[in-house]
Formats: sequence, structure tokens, C-alpha cells
Amino acid sequence: MDSDLKLSKTKNTVYCVISIVLLCVLLFPLYWIFVTSLKTEKEIFQIPPTFWPEVLNTKSYLAQVKSGDFNMFRSFGNSMVISVGAMLISIVLAVPASYGIAKYHFKGKRAVILGFLVTQMLPVSVLLTPLFITFQKMNLYNTWWSTILSDATIGIPFSVLILKNFFATIPKEIEEAAYIDGCNKFTGFIKVLIPIAKPGVVVCGIFSFLYGWGDLAYGMTFILDQEKRPITAGIFNFIGQYGTKWSYLTAFAVVTIIPVALIFILMQKYIISGMTSGAVKG
Amino acid sequence: MKGIKKYFKYDNVGILFVLPALIYMLVFVGYPIIYNFVLSFQDVTVRTLRSNVKEFVGLDNYINLFKQDNILMTSLWNTLFFTVVCILFQFVVGFALAVFFNKNFKFAKPVRGLLLIPWMIPMTITGLMFKFMFSTDVGIINFFLRSLGIIHKNIDWLTNPTTAMFAVIFANFWIGIPFNMILIATGLTTIPKELYESAAIDGAGKFQTFRKITVPLLKPTMESVLILGFIYTFKVYDLVYVMTSGGPVNSTQLLSTYSYKLSFEMFKYSEGAAVANVLFVILFIVSSIYLKFIYTEGEE
Repeated sequence: MDSDLKLSKTKNTVYCVISIVLLCVLLFPLYWIFVTSLKTEKEIFQIPPTFWPEVLNTKSYLAQVKSGDFNMFRSFGNSMVISVGAMLISIVLAVPASYGIAKYHFKGKRAVILGFLVTQMLPVSVLLTPLFITFQKMNLYNTWWSTILSDATIGIPFSVLILKNFFATIPKEIEEAAYIDGCNKFTGFIKVLIPIAKPGVVVCGIFSFLYGWGDLAYGMTFILDQEKRPITAGIFNFIGQYGTKWSYLTAFAVVTIIPVALIFILMQKYIISGMTSGAVKG
Repeated sequence: MKGIKKYFKYDNVGILFVLPALIYMLVFVGYPIIYNFVLSFQDVTVRTLRSNVKEFVGLDNYINLFKQDNILMTSLWNTLFFTVVCILFQFVVGFALAVFFNKNFKFAKPVRGLLLIPWMIPMTITGLMFKFMFSTDVGIINFFLRSLGIIHKNIDWLTNPTTAMFAVIFANFWIGIPFNMILIATGLTTIPKELYESAAIDGAGKFQTFRKITVPLLKPTMESVLILGFIYTFKVYDLVYVMTSGGPVNSTQLLSTYSYKLSFEMFKYSEGAAVANVLFVILFIVSSIYLKFIYTEGEE
């Protein structure tokens, strides 16, 4: 509302304090698992709970390196391979597709756009059973590929819809100048347009990665071996086998959040544009 | 051949750029959707999974699902309840935060940015986190409530059928706040400042300005946020599966978790597919309404 009106000094301070309180309340769950992951199992059960560990315990992180059925760092690596794989497929396919949609008028274009929009709203449940059977037939079941291929089905429509808007805003003159300089439609696209749309490509990369990183259903259903499973499925498996060993579980949670936090710190502006531009306008 | 050449001569060449992505989506999304419908009319269980001939049973799976203690109807009702309560709370809180952070104070932008984090955390982790916080003996939520004197005995949040739904709704509410906040915040920035200035000159009060300017101009944004919120919440799976797996006694069973349970815990693939189809049809209808809505209101 009164966004440009200057606030008085006291009001400014009051609002700043309120915002910090809000931040603490809303992000408390994250702080809480972080603190818990540094406590001993005994301290976790202590009443009243401690808001900072009395004894700093990093064993929950280290224990998984050596022993245990669930090696958190290997699962972390699996998740990386799967998410990066899904991200690469999404980008390689979505960049040209969005350019084609933004810059050309071909028959059936509207149907294609609608198709991408609808798939973005699809529940995973619909694809799980048929893909499970199909991957078994294709001998892709229990491989990283099964999960990479299915995670990309979330990244592609999202990326196409976001990038389409990016390409649409590039003026025609730039493209025409490229043709005069001797580019044809394909080289012009690669040499001139892709570099201009780079911020959009970054947004798509981030989100495609995050979709893969956050996936549980595909990783858990299509990959059977614990050694190949992504970290989300590994954690879920761990709960099933060992119950609620909270010191370990919270440590897994923290490790899973690290890449997300890094992405957030380094690329915050891209995230906001991705959340807003893709979601509201088709 | 000549026809093909002619087709690509003009703007139609654009389809060549789209084709790879299109084929990919047809193979890994289009085909499975159709296959899922076929599956739901067959009788595929763990025994018949590998055989080539699958028995066609018509609507039997759907009919069976309605007969079996009617868990299908329970899940459908739970999903609706979960979705509506979640989006109501998310929307109200998201709206309030958007308005608050739209004020021009020093911390507004950075703090609002940090509040987006919950939305980015993998749902499995969020589920785990709230499972921990809602647990009976170690749970911090019981501790807070006891300290404030609201309760005197620990509540079995996740193992009691009457409170479990509340706990999963709370967790999803936490995830959804940033999404609602940021979309509404973007909507707020599109309202021309002059309108507020002239309203102030005309002597309109804060509440009046909000009701007469903010709300009507924000209507398209609000509608989008609510429908998208509905779609995204209706299909939530991981969060609930991690927190309760649909239990206790199906009290948090959603269509998505029920479908998973049938297919991958009970190995009744066809019945799982049938439940997924119910979910799909409902979402498809809502998505169509949404798409129609943005296309009539927007440009094309």
C-alpha cells in the first residue's frame, strides 16, 4: 500500500522489530532441527528442552560416514547426480522449445502451451504406477535414469513457461541484426538469443534442480537399492528401519537443506522471479 | 515431401524447436496418463504384473473401491478438508504479511526474502521436522503449549485420529505462507501509487482505501493464488506420507497417499491407478477452470 511514503523514524524501528520477530517465529522450525542435530540423544529427551546444546555433539554427522546401512553422504551424491541430470535434460529441451513458442506461429501452438500448463498441475500419483511398470519393461527400474527422467517431467513445463516470457521480451530487431550478420535461424538462436535469455535459463536451472532435489515419490518408488537412492528416500527408509532416532534424522535433514540454503544465499533474486513469473501468468 | 517442405518454409519452422520437448513430454507424461486409465480398467496386481495378457475388468476397480470400507470417500473428503483449510489459513496470513512487507521500512526486503525459505525446503524434510516437533514426548509444540498453560497433559498429535489432520495441515500451512505472500506482494506492486495518493487527498481512511482500492484491484491476483493454491495443495503427497503415512486409521489418508498405498504397499496396481485417476480428473477440471480464467482475463 503506502509503499513509497516515507515512514517516521519510530515507525521504521517498530516495523523492523516486528519483522524480526516474525522471522524468528516462522523460521524457528529450521533453527530447531539444526540445534537438535548438535545434541546428544539424551539431551534431546531432556525436559525442559535446551535451546542451545549443553554438550556439542557432532557424532550424528560423522557416524554415517563409517558405518550403517544408510550412508548419508553417498545418498547426498546420488541426489546430486539425479537432480543435476534432471536439470540438464530440462534445460536442453526447454530452452529451444520456449524459443519456438515465443518467436514463431505454428499450427497447434496454443494446444502445446495448454499442454505444458496442464502437466505443471499434474499430481505425481497419476504417473507413478504407469511409469513404474514402464521402467520395469525398459530395464530402467532401479537405476538413476528412472528418477532423472521422471523428475525432468516437472522441470520441463515449468522452464518452458518461464523462458517463453523471457524470449518474448527480446526485441525482433536483435534477431534481425543477427540474420544480417550472417546467422541463420539456428545459429542466431544459439549465438545471440540464448546469451540474452541467460537470467531466465538460470531461473529454470535452479527450479529444475530443486524439483529433483525435493522429490521423494519417484526416488522411493523407482529405485530399490539403498545405495542408489536419493537422500530423501534414504531418510524415509531410515525412519522405517530405525524409527525415530532424532539426533541422526535431524542431521540428515540439515545436510539435505545445505544445497537449498546455498542456492538461496547465492541466487535469491532469481528465486523470487521464478516463484512469481511462472506461477501467475501462463 | 513437397508438402513437408512447404510447411516448414514459413513460421512453422518454429515447431522444430518445440518438438524434442514435446516428444519427451508425450512419452513420459502423455503416454503414462493414458496407460493409467487403461490400468484402472484392468486387473493388474503383483501376480499379473509381468504377464503380457491383462484381464479387462471394466469398472470393477472403481466399484470395489467404493465398497471397501469406503476409504476412497474418506480420502476424498480428507483431501478436500485438508486443501480448503490449508489455503484459507495460508491466504489470510500470506496476505497480511504481503501488506506488511509492502511498507517502506529498512528490513522489509531482506526479511521478506528470508521468509521464502520454507517454500524451498524439500517436503520430506519439512515432514520430518514437523513430525519431530509434533511428537508426544520430545515435541517442542507440546512443551510450548504446556508452558503457556494451554494443555496439562501431552497431546499425541500424530497418533490420535482427531489431531493428526490438524498437525499435517499446520505443516503444510507453514510451507504455503511464502507462496501466498510473494504472489500477493507482486500483485500489490502492480497497483498504481497515484490511486492511493488521490484516495488520501479525498480523505479516505485506511480501511476504506483497502476495501475500495486494494481488494478490487487485487482480485485477479487473489483468484489466481487461491486456484493455484488449491491445485498444489490438493496433490500434496510427500509431506503427509512422511508425517503420518495416511494414518492413524486413515484419518489423514489423502487421495495421493491412498493411491500410493494401494499400488506400492498392497501391490494392487489397478486400484492404485483408479484412485490416482479420481485425483487426476478433479485436478484436471480445476486446472481447466483456471486456464480458462487466465486466458479470458489475460492477453491471448
